[in-house]
Amino acid sequence: MANVSVAAEWQLLGDRYYRKPDLYHPLRWKHIDLSRNKVACAPFGGPIALIRDDSKIVQLYAESALRKLRIFNSAGVPLSETIWKNPGGRLIGLSWTDDQTLVCIVQDGTVYRYTSHAELLEPNFSILGQEYLDENVVECVFWGNGVVCVTDACKVFSIADFKSKNPRPLRLADPAPEGIEELPHCVAVIEPQYTMSGNVEVLLAIGDGVVMVEEDEVQPLPLPPGDGPLQKMVVSGDGRFVASFTHDGRMAVYSTRLEKIFEYECESALPPEQLAWCGLDSVLLYWDDMLLMVGPSDEPVRYLYDEPIVLIPECDGVRILSNSSIEFLQLVPNSTVSIFKIGSTSPAALLYDALDHFDRRSAKADENLRLIRSSLSEAVEACVDAAGHEFDVSRQRTLLRAASYGQAFCSNFHRDRIQEMCKTLRVLNAVRSPEIGIPLSIQQYKLLTPSVLIGRLINAHQHLLALRISDYLGMNQEVVIMHWACSKITASLAIPDATLLEILLDKLKLCKGISYAAVAAHADKNGRRKLAAMLVEHEPRSSKQVPLLLSIGEEDTALIKATESGDTDLVYLVLFHILQKRQPLEFFGMIQARTLARDLFINYARCYKHEFLKDFFLSTGQLQEVAFLLWKESWELGKNPMASKGSPLHGPRIKLTEKAQSLFAETKEHTFESKAAEEHAKLLRIQHELEVTTKQAIFVDSSISDTIRTCIVLGNHRAAMKVKTEFKVSEKRWYWLKIFALATIRDWEALEKFSKEKRPPIGYRPFVEACIEADEKGESLKYIPKLTDPRERAESYARIGMAKEAADAASQAKDGELLGRLKLTFAQNAAASSIFDTLRDRLGVS
Amino acid sequence: MAQIPNLDNASLNLTSLREQSQKELINILKNIRGKKCLIIDPKLGGSLSSIIQTSLLKEHGVELRHLSAEPIQSDCTKVVFLVRSKIDLMKFICSNVHNDISKGLQREYHVYFVPRRAVVCEKVLEDEKVHQLMTIGEYPLYVVPLDEDVLSFELDLAYKESQVDGDTSSLWHIAKAIHKLEFSFGVIPNVRAKGKASVRVADILNHMQAEEPVNSPDMVVPEINTLILLDREVDMVTPMCSQLTYEGLIDEFLHINNGSVELDASIMGVQQEGKKIKVPLNSSDKLFKEIRDLNFEVVVQILRQKATSMKQDYTEMTTTTQTVSELKDFVKKLNSLPEITRHINLAQHLSTFTSKPSFLGQLDMEHTIVEAQSYDICYEYIEEMIHKQEPLVNVLRLLILFSVTNSGLPKKHFDYLRRELLHSYGFEHMATLNNLEKAGLLKKQETKSNWLTIKRALQLVVDDTDTANPNDIAYVFSGYAPLSIRLIQHAVRSGWRPIEEILKLLPGPHSETKRGRFSSSPSFDTLQGASANIDRAADGRRSLVLVVFIGGVTFAEISALRFLTAQEGMAYDMIIGTTKIVSGHNLAETFVEKLG
Repeated sequence: MANVSVAAEWQLLGDRYYRKPDLYHPLRWKHIDLSRNKVACAPFGGPIALIRDDSKIVQLYAESALRKLRIFNSAGVPLSETIWKNPGGRLIGLSWTDDQTLVCIVQDGTVYRYTSHAELLEPNFSILGQEYLDENVVECVFWGNGVVCVTDACKVFSIADFKSKNPRPLRLADPAPEGIEELPHCVAVIEPQYTMSGNVEVLLAIGDGVVMVEEDEVQPLPLPPGDGPLQKMVVSGDGRFVASFTHDGRMAVYSTRLEKIFEYECESALPPEQLAWCGLDSVLLYWDDMLLMVGPSDEPVRYLYDEPIVLIPECDGVRILSNSSIEFLQLVPNSTVSIFKIGSTSPAALLYDALDHFDRRSAKADENLRLIRSSLSEAVEACVDAAGHEFDVSRQRTLLRAASYGQAFCSNFHRDRIQEMCKTLRVLNAVRSPEIGIPLSIQQYKLLTPSVLIGRLINAHQHLLALRISDYLGMNQEVVIMHWACSKITASLAIPDATLLEILLDKLKLCKGISYAAVAAHADKNGRRKLAAMLVEHEPRSSKQVPLLLSIGEEDTALIKATESGDTDLVYLVLFHILQKRQPLEFFGMIQARTLARDLFINYARCYKHEFLKDFFLSTGQLQEVAFLLWKESWELGKNPMASKGSPLHGPRIKLTEKAQSLFAETKEHTFESKAAEEHAKLLRIQHELEVTTKQAIFVDSSISDTIRTCIVLGNHRAAMKVKTEFKVSEKRWYWLKIFALATIRDWEALEKFSKEKRPPIGYRPFVEACIEADEKGESLKYIPKLTDPRERAESYARIGMAKEAADAASQAKDGELLGRLKLTFAQNAAASSIFDTLRDRLGVS
Repeated sequence: MAQIPNLDNASLNLTSLREQSQKELINILKNIRGKKCLIIDPKLGGSLSSIIQTSLLKEHGVELRHLSAEPIQSDCTKVVFLVRSKIDLMKFICSNVHNDISKGLQREYHVYFVPRRAVVCEKVLEDEKVHQLMTIGEYPLYVVPLDEDVLSFELDLAYKESQVDGDTSSLWHIAKAIHKLEFSFGVIPNVRAKGKASVRVADILNHMQAEEPVNSPDMVVPEINTLILLDREVDMVTPMCSQLTYEGLIDEFLHINNGSVELDASIMGVQQEGKKIKVPLNSSDKLFKEIRDLNFEVVVQILRQKATSMKQDYTEMTTTTQTVSELKDFVKKLNSLPEITRHINLAQHLSTFTSKPSFLGQLDMEHTIVEAQSYDICYEYIEEMIHKQEPLVNVLRLLILFSVTNSGLPKKHFDYLRRELLHSYGFEHMATLNNLEKAGLLKKQETKSNWLTIKRALQLVVDDTDTANPNDIAYVFSGYAPLSIRLIQHAVRSGWRPIEEILKLLPGPHSETKRGRFSSSPSFDTLQGASANIDRAADGRRSLVLVVFIGGVTFAEISALRFLTAQEGMAYDMIIGTTKIVSGHNLAETFVEKLG
C-alpha cells in the first residue's frame, strides 16, 4: 500500500516520529564545498551566504585568490556576489538579521552590513567602544536582530537592534574579575524577548562554571558538580532551556538557571561541531559524519552524512544543508501520523483509504465511510491539516482530495477550511519553487505572516509573485507596487523619462491612493528630477505633493498647486521656502500676480515685517498701500507712551502723514484719501496749537467734530469758529455740534441765543432733542411750538408727557397711526388715553 | 443650569462629536504630567466653554490663564499655550517667553495649535528664537456644537479675513470641518452653493474627498442628505437689519456670547450691587426653547399669559380644596416659575431698549431702506446720524444697508458721507472705510441696483405679517423676509434651477453638485421617484439638510430656518453650520480698524 512507503521514511525517537523530507535535491549550485566556507543561513527559508573560511587552510582550485561573498537562495540559486576586501582582519562571524540584512563582524570589531543583493550598507561601524579599539573579537553569537561579541580581553559587547538607524554598541558587565583574562569555553545568548529585564542575557562558560552577564550585572550560576567546564551551549527557541555538551561527553539540558533537566551520555567526549535544537523536543549533535538526534528517551536517532552539513534551526524543526541538498528535519505532525502510521485505523486513515478505493471504483470506499460516519468531520480536518504540512505537491493534492471527498458526506464541516488551505498551499508552493527558493513550512509561514513574506519577496525583487500573492490573499498591493516602482526607477537609468513614466503609471494606477509623491521622491533621489516632476503631477494629495515639488526646485508649480488646494498652510510653506531661497525682488515678482500668495504674505508681513512690506509695495508700485502703512505708523507714534501729548513727536507724526498724502496724490483714484491725509495733518497742527494755548492735552487724536465741541465746552468760541472755517464744516453739522455742546454745559441761555441767531438750517428739532435729553422740559417748550411738522410736535409733546398738546398736534396731522401709537405711550394714564380715543373716532380711524 | 448645551435631542449625534473634542483635550493635558499652567487665548476660551467645564480642566492639574501681553503669573514649571493658529497671537507667546527668560525663569513650554499647526505661526516663533524651546502639538477642534441644531466653526473673523485681507484660511477650515462630519455621518450626496466662498468650499471639499476619501459602505444612506453653502456676502442686507425675535433682540442689545448673556444682577432681580451674572441661553431651558424664535411682541404676550395663569392658579389654590392630583399639577407648574421669572426679567429689561424713540426710528429707517423707495429720506437720516455723532457702528450698519441695497452710492454722496464720517469720528477711520470698500460694503455706485427686482421676485417685503400666527418667515423682522433664508427655502424645495435668474443678480457664482456614489448614477437627476426615496431616510425620520453660512448667521435667521422646519409638508430637518453667530453690530465692528 502507498501508505506504507510514507511511514517507512520516518524514524522513531521515543514515542514520536521524525521525518526529514528533501526540500531541494539536488541544489542548483555547483562545486560548493561547505567545509571550505563560512556559512550563514537565514531562518524562515531565507538566503544562504557563503564566504571562504580564512581561518582554514584550503586548497585553491581554478579560482581567484580574492575571496568572494556569495549569496544563494535556499535552493542554491545564486542571487548575488561581491568581492570581499574589507579590512579589519579575519571574519569572525556572519549572520542574517530578521529583515534579512547580512551582518559580518571582523576581528577588529568592525561591522559590515550587506543586503541580500550583496550591496554594502553604509556606514560601517565598530561594535567595540572607542577605548577598546585595540582589542580583538574572538567570538560572536547572533540572535534575531542583535549580536553579542566577546573580545580577547574577555569583555562583552552587544548590539541590541541592527534595524535601528544608528545601531549603538553597548558594553556589558565584565564576566571575569579584573585582571583575569580567561576566555570562555562557549557562549550562549538569551534573547531580550525572553528575559525579565527586557535586555539580553549572556551565558558564558568560564572555568568550571557559568556566569550570566547583563548590562551592569554579573551573576555566577551554579552548575551541577562534575558538569563543567561546558564545551558547547545553545538556548532553545523559546528561551527556556539550554542544551550543552559537558567536558566528559554528556549532552545535558538545563533550565536557563542551570537546573539540570535531562542528560544523555554520548559515545564521544569530543565536543560536537554543531549543537542545535530541533523544535523544542530534541537536540541535534553533529560530528564529522554523524548527526545524532537526542530526545527525552533513551535511544537516540543516528543519521550518517558523508558530506559536511550545516544545521539551520527553525521554529518547528531544523533544516539540514549539505553540499548537494537541503532537508527539513521535523516532528511528524499528529494528523500525518494518524493517517500514515502503519496499521493506523484512525478515521482519517480510513477516509484516506476510502478515497483510494473510490479512485479504484471499489465499493469498499463506501464501507470505509460508513465506519467513520460519526467522526467524519474530524477525519476531514486531519486530512486538511496533514495536507498543509506536506511539501510534496502530489501528496498535498491527494490529502485535499480525501478531505473534499469526506466533506461531501459531512454536513457539519466548516467548508471554508479546505478552500483556505488550498489558498495557503498555493502560496507556499509558489514560494517553494526553486526559482524563488523560500521553503517555508506552514507553521513558519503563519509565524512569519503573509505581509512579511511579501516584504521579503519584494526585497528579492520578486515583484510579480508578490503582487499576485497579495492580490490572491486580498491584501493591499500598495507596498508591492510602490517598491516595484522605486526598484524600476533605480534599475532603469537607460530608459528615457517619458517612456519610464508611462511604464510606471501603467502599474501605479492599479492601486488607488498610492503615494505618487513617494515614488517621485525616489526618482529625485536617483537624480531623475524631471521624472520626479512628471510623477508628482499625478499625486492627488497636495500636502504630499507641494513639499516634494519644493524639494525638486519646482517652486512655481508648488505655488500653483498649494493655491489650488485651498490650504493656506501649504501656501505659506511655499512662500517661506521661496523667501529663503530667492532675492527679495525676485520673490516679489513671483507673488505679485498670485492673489492668494500675495495676500497671505501681506498678512504675515503686516504683523512682523513692516519694513519688508513697504519694500514690497514700493517695488510693485502700490504707492497707496505704502501711504496707508505710513499713516498707520503715524498713529503708532501717537500710541507710543514716550510720545506724551504735546511733545515735539507731533513733528514726525505730521511728517509721516504728509508723506502719506503725497503718495496718495500720486494716483488719481486716491484723491479722497490724499485730501483726508492733508486735512489730518492740518488738524494735528491746529490741535497741537490748541493744546499749547489752552495748556490742556485733550485735543490731539480727537476728531474735527470733537475738537469743535471741546472748544465750545471750554467756552473758546473763536477757536471753534476757526476750526469750522478751516475745515469748511457745513452749517448743518455746525448746528448739531454747537447745540449739543451747549446742552452739555447746560448753557440754556446761550442755546436760546444761538437759536435766534438766524433761522437754523436744520430746524428746531435738534434744540428740542437736546433739551429733552438733558431732561429740561421747560427749555424744550421754548422750541417745540416752533417745530413745523405737526407730527414731530406731537411726538415731542408726548415725550415730555403733555398728552393734551400731543393729541392736538396729532389731530392736526390727521395721522391715525400716530394717534394709536401715542395712546400706547399714555396707556397708564386713563384720562390721556380717552383723549386719544375720542380724537381717533373723530378722525374716523378705528 | 449648565452653560454646556444639552444635545440629546439633536437629529445628528452631536454628543459624540463633543465628547470626542473633550477627550482630545483631556488627553493633551494628561500627557503633560503634573501641575501645569494652561494659557488659552481668550476667544478660544469662549468656544471651549461650550465644550468642557472648567472644573474638569482643574481636575487635571490645570491652572487657567488667558493669553495676553502680560507676563505669566504662575509658579508652574510647565506652561501649555492653547491658541488658535493666528499670526497675531504669536507675539503674546513670544513676549511671555522672553519675559520668563529675562527673569531667569526656566519652564517647559508646550504650544497646542487649534485646530492645527500652521507654518506661518511657527515661522514667527522661529524668527523670535523661541521655537526650539517649545514642544508643538495640535488640538483638532474644528466644530463646536452650540445647540441641538447649531454648529459653529468659531471663526469670528472669517468674513473680514477673506473679504478684506484675502486670507481664505477659513474656507479650508470649513471644508475640513464638513469633511470631518462626513467621516462620522457619511458623504453628503447633494451640495448646493451660492457665493464665491461657498463654491470654493464645495471645491475644496471635493478635493479633500479625492485626497482622503470617506469610505461609506454602499448600502448605508448618509445621515446628511444635502449641504447648502451660502456666503454672507450674498446677503448683507439681513444682518444689518435689527433682529426682532426674542433671542435676536437679546443679542442686539445685550450681546450673547457663547450661549450666554452677562447682565447686572439687579436686572435679574438679585439685589447685589455691581455684580454681574451669566444667564445661559440654550434649548435646555424649556421655556426659552419655546419662545426664543418668536417675535418679541408675541413673547411679551405669552409671558404675560403665563404669569396671569400662574397667579390665577395660585389664588384658586388658596381658596378651594384641591385633590392631590391637582396639587401635583400645581407644583409642577411651580417648577417652571424660575424660568418664567428669568424671562420676564429679561423681557422687561429688553423693552426699556425697544420703547426708545431712537430704536423705533432706526427700525423705521431700516424698513425704508429695504423698501428702497425713498432714497433722499434715507440719505438725510444717515447724514444726520453722522452729524449727531451717534455710535459709529450704528451708523455703519445703516450705511452698509443703504449702500448694498443701492449697489453703492453716487460718487458725490459717497465722498461727502465719507468726509463727514472722518470729520465726526476721526481720521483713523480711513482704514475702516478702506476695509468696507474692499469688502464691497460701502462703495461708489457703478451699476444700477437690482435690489428692487430681487426684492419683488423673492417677495422679501411682506405687507401683512401676523407676528402672532406667522405664515411666513417675514415675521422675524416684522415684515421683511430675510433674503438668505428665502434662498435656502428655494434651495431645499427645488434646488437652484428655478431661481437661477435671481441668483445671477446676487454676488458670486453658484453651483450644484452630486457626490459620492450618487455622482455616477445618471438616473438620479431625471427620476423624481428615485430621488424622493433617497430624501426620506429609511426609518421614517426626515432627512437632514446642513445649511452652512460662510461669514456668520444671525439668531433671527436661525429662527426663520426653525420656522421653516416646523412647517407642515417640510420634508427636511435642518442643522445650521456657521463660521460664528453674528449680529449686524459685531459684523460691522470687525471692519472698524482700531488705531490710536
